[in-house]
Amino acid sequence: MARGLIRRLVFGLIAIAGVIVLAFLLEFVVPGDPAKAIAPRATSLQVLANIRAQLHLNQPLIVQFADYFGNLLRGNLGTSYIQHQPVAAVIGPRLLTTGVLALAGVVAEVIIGGSFGILAALYSRVRALIGALNLTLLAVPIFVLGLLLLLLFGFKLGIAPVSGGAGAAELVLPALTLGLIGAPWYAQIVADQMQESLASSYVRTAVSKGLPDSYILRRHVLRNVLSPAITMVGLDLGSYLSGVVTVEVVFVWPGIGLLAVNSLHNLDRPIVMGTVIVGAVAVVFFNLVADVLRMFVDPRTREEV
Amino acid sequence: MTAEPAERAPALEVTDLNVRYGRVHAVRDACLTVPAGQVVALIGETGSGKSSLALAAARLLPSSAAITGRVAIAGRDTSGLDRGEFRRVRASLLGCIAQDAMAALNPVVPVGRQVGELFACHAGMRRQQAAEAAVAALAQVKIRHPAAVARLYPHQLSGGMRQRVMVAIAVALSPPLIVADEPTTALDVSTQAEILALIGELQARMCSGFLWITHDMGVVAELADWAAVMYAGRIVEQGPVETIFDAPAHPYTEGLLWTRRDLRSGAAGAPLFQIPGSPPSPGEEPPGCPFAPRCSRATQVCVEVDPGLEPVRRDGGDGGSFGHKAACHHPVGPSAGAPAGSVQGSVEGPRP
Repeated sequence: MARGLIRRLVFGLIAIAGVIVLAFLLEFVVPGDPAKAIAPRATSLQVLANIRAQLHLNQPLIVQFADYFGNLLRGNLGTSYIQHQPVAAVIGPRLLTTGVLALAGVVAEVIIGGSFGILAALYSRVRALIGALNLTLLAVPIFVLGLLLLLLFGFKLGIAPVSGGAGAAELVLPALTLGLIGAPWYAQIVADQMQESLASSYVRTAVSKGLPDSYILRRHVLRNVLSPAITMVGLDLGSYLSGVVTVEVVFVWPGIGLLAVNSLHNLDRPIVMGTVIVGAVAVVFFNLVADVLRMFVDPRTREEV
Repeated sequence: MTAEPAERAPALEVTDLNVRYGRVHAVRDACLTVPAGQVVALIGETGSGKSSLALAAARLLPSSAAITGRVAIAGRDTSGLDRGEFRRVRASLLGCIAQDAMAALNPVVPVGRQVGELFACHAGMRRQQAAEAAVAALAQVKIRHPAAVARLYPHQLSGGMRQRVMVAIAVALSPPLIVADEPTTALDVSTQAEILALIGELQARMCSGFLWITHDMGVVAELADWAAVMYAGRIVEQGPVETIFDAPAHPYTEGLLWTRRDLRSGAAGAPLFQIPGSPPSPGEEPPGCPFAPRCSRATQVCVEVDPGLEPVRRDGGDGGSFGHKAACHHPVGPSAGAPAGSVQGSVEGPRP
């Protein structure tokens, strides 16, 4: 069990390293000169050259990468070209803001999707309705849904803030957007798993013991549904923490996704790299957490890994 | 008034039971009695309706199955009870042993709790008490180190151990009826023998009646007091197990027995006996005897009139053996020779 986890951790670290290399290379493929982005317009060539030298941009790619990676191993993510602050100081608060949104979004999708799935599995009458709803939600692009919610609750009804920000009131609509977009997947997986469980031989055994229905659902059915749902939560938390760009842009939520997009425009390479690394680490970390949680829920996975 | 104890009510009494899945008539007008404390073997090939009959009696069929008829367990009419009422009494009336214990036990719940929840739910025990009772129940089915095993999950046990856990669950509340659906089919031969011995012993001690579904004639001969043979959703013959074995009246029963006898005593390399043809497909309902197309004794009346289950009266005029019934217009005599079957050698090839 412990060996399996260590193996996964090692693979995760390799994946993160791969992402770092790839992101670093991609940044150099993007056309544009960071020096020009930093300097005011109409700066002399000499000044631009000075800036490049100062940022080591005039050195070969391999040297720049070695520098960056060495700093990274020492825990130094570098300094923002534009904001002249350490990358960690810029990203830290943004990560927290995105974390709040990601968590709220996952909670929303688990609640919405989970209850859809349970209803669909238990009541054949609403199954078709929920299936149609799932399809509709799957078909709607996330920014369209976000804008619709903003229009309805923000402008028409005036009960949600429209100015952007990271407060509790501002959290509701983006979290709801994430929840509605993610819900169909949870609904589908929960419904499938639950129907399979309800038709299973072990539920028949539980029925033959004369246990109350609610007890059978709680003890025998839902525990078997939990495992795949946990995997999905792990995947979602990881990918949301690497930035829910569309939602953050629509709702002007000052998270890491918004930061990444702005930094890409400004060619602020250290910040872009920082957001990429944070995303990769988040994906690996939450997958690992999901694996550990699954071991608690499903004893069979303890031996498989 | 009740000076002497009344005779115990039969463990199970099924009257005119019909089970339909949509257009498929899986069980037709079945009447079956499991006397208190005795073992009734329900024999038949796959699709003959034997599992449907047993599961219908235990009310474990999905709601898509339409069930009519009367079921009484230990003298109590359960077909009149609604779902909730039946749920409360079912564990004290009947236990069930499933065929595949791996699938029939919940993979994510320790086996001790799967046994203990019975006591917690029905004997009103606290969690701790129920856990102790579960360990005792596991010890009763001869699981060694029951306290340690109680904490394990099904996938950590051997097939024999899992089936013992199933048995422990079925007999936990000493119900008067136990429905066993081929409980040894999924096990290897030596484990089979252990489980059979265990069940035989528990059965003698608890005086439970057993409805034992099987197609293993060896198990029938060893354990059962009575046997009922099903074919195409009907009970075609029933009676004391010796009578069924020694003097079957229905040609199908005779054929079943011959397929086995042939395996036992046939010379190596000799062709195997087979009943010709195949059973009617589900949903197909010929007017006459369903076995007629495969039966060498069939006449015009067999094709036209469905024979009811009637007491067997032998030609010799011996008055018929007690309780022996068959659904046949032309029952086999007590001293019949070679069965009405065919021998197909090349299909099976040499036996191992």
